[in-house]
Amino acid sequence: MLWTCLLLPSLPLEVFARAQAPADAAQPFAVTTGGRTPRVVAANAAAAAAGVHAGQPVSATLALAPGIALRERDPNAQAAALAAVAAWAMQFTPTVSLAPPDAVLAEIAGSLRLFGGRSRLAAHVIRGTRDLGYTAAMAFAPTPTAALLFARAGAIGVGRDEPPSPRQAPRAAAAPGADPGFAAALAPLPLAHLDLDLDAAALAMLEAAGITTFGQALALPRDALARRVGAKFVAALDRAQGLAADPRPPFVPPPRYEGRLELPAAVDSVEALAFAVNRLVFELAGWLLGRGLGVGAMSLTLAHERQVAIRAGTPETRVRFALAAPAREPAHLIAVLRERLARVALPAPVVAIALASEETAPLAGRNLGLLPGDAAAAAVPLLDRLRARLGEAAVIRVLPHAEHRPERAWTGGGGQDFSPALARAAGAAGSAPSDPALPPRPLWLLAEPEPLGPVVEARPWVLKDGPERIESGWWDGADVRRDYFVAENPRGETLWIYRDHRRGIDDGEWFLHGVFA
Amino acid sequence: MNPALAAALANPAIWRGGDCAPEPAAMPSGYPALDAVLPGHGWPGSTLTEIVLTREGIGEIRLVLPALARLQAAGRDVVWIAPPHLPYAPALSAAGLDLARLIVVRCRTAADQLWAYEQALRAPECGAAFAWLDLADDRALRRIAVAAREGGTWGVLWRRPGRHATAAAAPLRLALAPQDGKLSVRVLKRRGGDLAQPVLIDVDAPTAALPDPRTCAGWNAPTEPFPHAFGGAARRA
Repeated sequence: MLWTCLLLPSLPLEVFARAQAPADAAQPFAVTTGGRTPRVVAANAAAAAAGVHAGQPVSATLALAPGIALRERDPNAQAAALAAVAAWAMQFTPTVSLAPPDAVLAEIAGSLRLFGGRSRLAAHVIRGTRDLGYTAAMAFAPTPTAALLFARAGAIGVGRDEPPSPRQAPRAAAAPGADPGFAAALAPLPLAHLDLDLDAAALAMLEAAGITTFGQALALPRDALARRVGAKFVAALDRAQGLAADPRPPFVPPPRYEGRLELPAAVDSVEALAFAVNRLVFELAGWLLGRGLGVGAMSLTLAHERQVAIRAGTPETRVRFALAAPAREPAHLIAVLRERLARVALPAPVVAIALASEETAPLAGRNLGLLPGDAAAAAVPLLDRLRARLGEAAVIRVLPHAEHRPERAWTGGGGQDFSPALARAAGAAGSAPSDPALPPRPLWLLAEPEPLGPVVEARPWVLKDGPERIESGWWDGADVRRDYFVAENPRGETLWIYRDHRRGIDDGEWFLHGVFA
Repeated sequence: MNPALAAALANPAIWRGGDCAPEPAAMPSGYPALDAVLPGHGWPGSTLTEIVLTREGIGEIRLVLPALARLQAAGRDVVWIAPPHLPYAPALSAAGLDLARLIVVRCRTAADQLWAYEQALRAPECGAAFAWLDLADDRALRRIAVAAREGGTWGVLWRRPGRHATAAAAPLRLALAPQDGKLSVRVLKRRGGDLAQPVLIDVDAPTAALPDPRTCAGWNAPTEPFPHAFGGAARRA
């Protein structure tokens, strides 16, 4: 067993600050407790440089940094953010557990080999959390409690760095407490980080006796310690050392991704949203990867300022986007959303954004190419780029449709039914009657039949094939009664023309309906 | 000619003034007479080709269908941007195109059309991108020619009758006209070589001189390797 603790020390601040583009980080920003005498909970680097620190009254903060942006702490947003990080972390291991208020625990022994060792995995995770907008610290230990302690104490913890070799005979799993390195690493940890539901009085009593570290507490007689500070404390020491079982409730990822991000300031241009959208897309991608899914359709909701929204009559702007095929590459999703957002006109400034997965489908991992030329798959498929910018109705597939009236013998799959599988099935069905007796059909069909007028009679056209009588549709009001001919006009163009017989035979008008291109 | 001299001249490093410039990614058009006048003996795989039509409905699309079917069999998409009329699915399907690999883009503004065309030309999954644009801007045309070269895509810019281009940045330009019931193809411009006389092509009879795509072009080859336009089969039968 190897547990890692992903600690997010600046979570109260970063719940808000992650929506901020790096350029805006120079603006002093702090999170406060709220209430009657608010105090600072956390401050960003710019605010800290101005002298703002945690615990300071807000009045003093405002005196130090008059332009500072303040937000009240939002425990609900913190809990949601922690759950989102846990769901994102499921891409590394299936065993993830929450350690509120600010940490996520994960068992990663089985993932080391896949990710190329502990340090690479750690670098991967830290880089990923930075993409999400968090600063994270990681620690490793054989037990979850110890991992949490190491992380809180700012230590890296213990554990081998190299990936276990499969050829090595599996060692007999020693009890973690038996590892002398682990005991030595545990000894200097301060007891104050043992965040259990210990009463403060017990810790204060130990501190008064000069016992502040783990090693000092372990050196005391066990029974006496239990009598003085309670059996709970001793049990906690045992769990940290791995002498007692330390079950952790497994984190269950939500069945549907819904991420919401409050913006630090109202945004009135779509371009400025891009940064915040990226944060949510990375979360979505981690959630998808953890569950082995690809997203087929997603929706982005832009919440507007309340007063302005009421005046404009729109509480929020909702953008739905369907992809041509399920995908989960962040670069792909970001590019698609950016193109789609560029077409959105904002009725009012945006104060929060929410991204949700609307449709998902299982998506297997993709093999990477072995040779340089193998990875031919584009970062973003052409189809998605075209449809995101031009709209779903502008990019279509044409498919045959079983119908005698020529103008109805095709369908344009533009909207929902735009799937390659469907197109392939319909294409196969359409090409099946490739019977030589099939009358000729033109490659271009005119959107509307064009009246030819007297031009046909004036200069002789050569009728090469026909007539082909098409008479159908009396039941739906769009009935046709036409004789089609393949004709060559005097300029050498081969056209598909018909004589309309709805009002009688052999006196109808001539129409041009297709071009044999 | 002296055999020793002929052998020396056969070296691919030697280029002679009368030859066409080498075109590495050429693909057979299915019409040997046409291949003979095209550089590299086939449609250029990564070059912008401009086709000037004097008339419409003379077999201009049938001329390119065998090459499109081959590209699709090799697993690449075909994109048509702003076609002049509706691409008629029953006829395209009967002519052997894989409609699942045909994307039709219908956009209104010229800027969107140009953007879509450049995206298609640069996309690696796109094998051929056809556009029917009224493109008079020389710079835009050059930009598209560069996109076709860098994207490795066969781009065809169709010039509809009566809309002749002033700029001619495309490295290969052809003019199509009907003649005696056949299609006359005149090379207006090509890289290297002197201009050939117009060639007459019966578009309804592509020859089987193409290598079988099932053996060389990919896995999902169509059941009918050499599609013919409608009517062709009936006439032969």
